[in-house]
Amino acid sequence: MREVAVIGVGQSIFGKMPEKPIFELGQEAVRAALKDAAISPKEIQVAYLSRLYLGESAVNAQNVLADVGIRYIEMVNCENACAGGSTAFRGVWKDIASGLYDVGIAIGIESMTTSPIAHKMIPPGKDDLEGLLGLTMPAFFGLLAHRYIEQYGAKVEDFARVSVKNHHHGCLNPFSQYKKEFTVEEILNSRMISDPITLLQCCPNTDGAAAAILCSMDKVRTYTSAPIKVAASVLLSGNYKYLQDDMLFSDIGSKAAKMAYEMAGIGPEDIDVIELHDAFAPEEVFRYEEFGLCARGEGAQLLNSGATELGGKIPVNPSGGLLSLGHPLSASGVRQVAELTWQLRGQAGARQVPNAKVAFAHMLGGTVPSLDAGACGIEIFTR
Amino acid sequence: MAKRVPLREGAFIETPEGGALVANRCKACGQVFFPKASICTACFNEDVEDLLLSRRGNLYSYTIGRMPSLHFEPPYALGYIDMPEKVRIFAPLEVEHGQYERLKIGMEMEVVVEKLWEEEGKEVIGWKFKPVIRGGKL
Repeated sequence: MREVAVIGVGQSIFGKMPEKPIFELGQEAVRAALKDAAISPKEIQVAYLSRLYLGESAVNAQNVLADVGIRYIEMVNCENACAGGSTAFRGVWKDIASGLYDVGIAIGIESMTTSPIAHKMIPPGKDDLEGLLGLTMPAFFGLLAHRYIEQYGAKVEDFARVSVKNHHHGCLNPFSQYKKEFTVEEILNSRMISDPITLLQCCPNTDGAAAAILCSMDKVRTYTSAPIKVAASVLLSGNYKYLQDDMLFSDIGSKAAKMAYEMAGIGPEDIDVIELHDAFAPEEVFRYEEFGLCARGEGAQLLNSGATELGGKIPVNPSGGLLSLGHPLSASGVRQVAELTWQLRGQAGARQVPNAKVAFAHMLGGTVPSLDAGACGIEIFTR
Repeated sequence: MAKRVPLREGAFIETPEGGALVANRCKACGQVFFPKASICTACFNEDVEDLLLSRRGNLYSYTIGRMPSLHFEPPYALGYIDMPEKVRIFAPLEVEHGQYERLKIGMEMEVVVEKLWEEEGKEVIGWKFKPVIRGGKL
């Protein structure tokens, strides 16, 4: 396998834009990535695009790329729920690492405001017994949050503090949907969704797009003197719930992180900045433990120590995360690649993590009744 | 009277003493599945047998839904129940007069088989769990 680098990234503004065609948002992200890499559209040899809610459209990659000047190459369209963007990224990474192509583009697009689930919770499938019996995404994380409080003596304020932190970070990001500070009290006093999770601990409905251009390391000097190395890429499906006694420490997250550390030859102590899947605030605390940033049961203490805010030892979700930047499902995984590329180049402006050298991205997607999750994508980047 | 249909065929029995859930178990490795598995996904053995679960288990965790779900208007309680047969079951919870503050992780819960909702003029029968009351107190 060859080494692969990120040489250009771009994202659209994230927000509610039902009047804006989703392909235009995609083109905005692709043009930004091409400009960032200073590369001609004709040099792109392969493209992967992820989108979950397709509406009436098919061949989305071709639809986005035709107007940008990219055509007549291999194009793949895919979904993996919220890990779709990570999946598109990995597709391009695999094709370049294997030597099939030298340059490719990963794209994630999603229009949540025009999707069938706009203003709703994701409905259950016909054979999904748990879904039919009322298990929604916020209910699932509400169940885990109550268990965490009982098992480790945490407080609801701890989870609210994740949202306070990420909304603070979002205020510093020009791309974010919400640029508003909240207090712990405001988070806890917002509408209850599924106890103890309140509205401001849930990610919003968001439209947006992101793109990343990858290149084999041996060809990278043609384009840039500052490539961002893909030190690890992992994509893993979930494990059976019945094999996991402790639901607060998921097999999928802990195993994917372990695989990524092994591939990159580093450990959690080497990471400078993390972007992770914070669709519901309590999740962020669980992930600290799964990724080995702290021991089991100590996630809330790590958060309360300030280590994971900007200015702390290991800032998590400096972009604002899904909670404040917003969450266009399939775009988020690619958007994290853009954010971490800017962080490693020192281009992240007011939300810059000083002298960041090692960055970690994580997305989690989908529900399967018998599994702990559908898919988990993790990447580690270095400069 | 409206026709009664099970939420899932073969997932429970109804007796004069009350309902009970029917899981299945791998005859080779002993792994228990609810809902029933078609083969043992733990060891890939195809020989699985029905297993009537205990009527009582313990609450692993709970939440109160405050947004409508497909079949339930808020508020409604939901939980995971750990059964003695080493299987964890997700189910709606029945809490008297909506006294949700009575729910405590670890408390003993008992299965009830009853009508969950109506659709297309039929009563859909399934399972819920309710706190076990001893001597008038929880």
